[in-house]
Amino acid sequence: MALVSLACIAGLFAFLVMQSVPILSEQKWNFLLGQDWWAGEVYGALPLIYGSCMVTGLALLLVLPLAMGGAVFTSEFLSAQQRLWVKALMELFAGVPGIIYGLLGVGLLTGWVKDSFGLIDGNTILTAGLLLGIMILPTILTLSEDALNAVPGHYRDASLGLGLTKLQMVLSAVIPQALPGIAGAVFLGLGRAMGETIAVMLVIGGLDKIADPWYDLFAPAQSIASKLGREAAEAIGSDLQWSALMALGLILFLIVMFFSLLGNLLLKRAR
Amino acid sequence: MVGSTTVLPIATRAAERFVAKNNGRVSITVNGGGSGVGVQSAGSGLTDIGLVSREITPREKKRFDKPGLRIIAVGRDAVACVVSSEIYSAGVRALSREQIGGIYLGKIKNWKEVGGPDRAIVVVDKERHRGTRHVFMKYVFSDENARAPGARLVTGSNNEGQSKIADSDSAIGMLSFAWLNNEVVGIGIREKGEVITPTLETVRANRYPISRSLNFVIAGEPKGLVKEFLDFIMSPEGQAIVDQSGYIPVHAF
Repeated sequence: MALVSLACIAGLFAFLVMQSVPILSEQKWNFLLGQDWWAGEVYGALPLIYGSCMVTGLALLLVLPLAMGGAVFTSEFLSAQQRLWVKALMELFAGVPGIIYGLLGVGLLTGWVKDSFGLIDGNTILTAGLLLGIMILPTILTLSEDALNAVPGHYRDASLGLGLTKLQMVLSAVIPQALPGIAGAVFLGLGRAMGETIAVMLVIGGLDKIADPWYDLFAPAQSIASKLGREAAEAIGSDLQWSALMALGLILFLIVMFFSLLGNLLLKRAR
Repeated sequence: MVGSTTVLPIATRAAERFVAKNNGRVSITVNGGGSGVGVQSAGSGLTDIGLVSREITPREKKRFDKPGLRIIAVGRDAVACVVSSEIYSAGVRALSREQIGGIYLGKIKNWKEVGGPDRAIVVVDKERHRGTRHVFMKYVFSDENARAPGARLVTGSNNEGQSKIADSDSAIGMLSFAWLNNEVVGIGIREKGEVITPTLETVRANRYPISRSLNFVIAGEPKGLVKEFLDFIMSPEGQAIVDQSGYIPVHAF
């Protein structure tokens, strides 16, 4: 079974690499470093890589404190019954399709961002980051909670026996033990955020440009996934444009694979 | 049938009627994606009929030289320069070609520079392969592939463009006439001191400057059901559908 999946992944990887060859041999490093994407003329992926990193990084920054707080609270301060409820709910939320979040984003979040920050328009990096944060919160929360909950009881008993308060116990004994598992949860969440297409596409603005200054969260942008979503149908079977999109796919594939592998590895070690 | 969201209303209605006429013995799938997708899909055999709201480019002609693309104009449409209703109410009723160009190039950034309120302009562009964009840019910049460095948002389908412009209170964009409503208002084009309003009348009189054919594109000779469908859309009944969809029929019956 494992061999079959490995073969599938390898096949997919080989396919992406093969399809990327034309654009990479044509433009070489300019494909990665170019800032201009104009189908039929030039393909520069940097603004898209930038967009993906910005929204994903932002989502992580926003969600980490919440997810950690929620996980610690659920694992250490709730009864077994309540904990199961929270877990069930989080797993339910984690399974909600991206388009549903996308609709929420278009319907509520863009307007809210526009009004609260006094912007001329609500389709921004911040909006996409917020939306992705909401989307990956359940995954990170529930997996981190698993990691905390898996820390053996005697660590807790020993800490409490030393006279530590419950909070001190969590901070000094439980979290350090659960850290690899928590990191694993974060990487899996990052993988989902990177690959999310439709929700991001609907709120990010669709502009293939690096904001000026680059950390301007109120500027529109474009992520790799949303670019693929927008241009794939137009480019099927065509010349360089298709190859350029496949090369984008390859970049996305490598990043998401890296996150997922690292996440799974850390989670496994934690168990 | 796949392609232009501008042609989509005609294709959807015509497909429904055609299936009903054949007592449901045939089935037709209709989908959007944009004119570029329409040409691409028809040329590569992914669909029978591509929906295309612009001319076929030389690049596309060359790519599908083998099957030979056949273009059938089924109706006419015009593209309006549209603004958010708030901007229209504030007094921006018409713009000249130079003003629209200045806005899309990012040289004009505030509505007050063109007689509107003191508010930044949210410039809504469309994906490069969209037919509406080709026609609009050809008029504004005499280049269907012109770049628009002033753009703030890039949208895809007419529906997406319409909703982004309606959501904003200071946006400018381009839309097919059939998508104009109370929230996205078509403004006049000022040419030589005269304002040409975006109405079907000015298009019919060949006065409105941004108009285009709506096309069905097929690869090679039409055969069987495809031919029957093409005959249907050119019949009085089919052309009435074009009219009901908010466009101008190619044949007056």
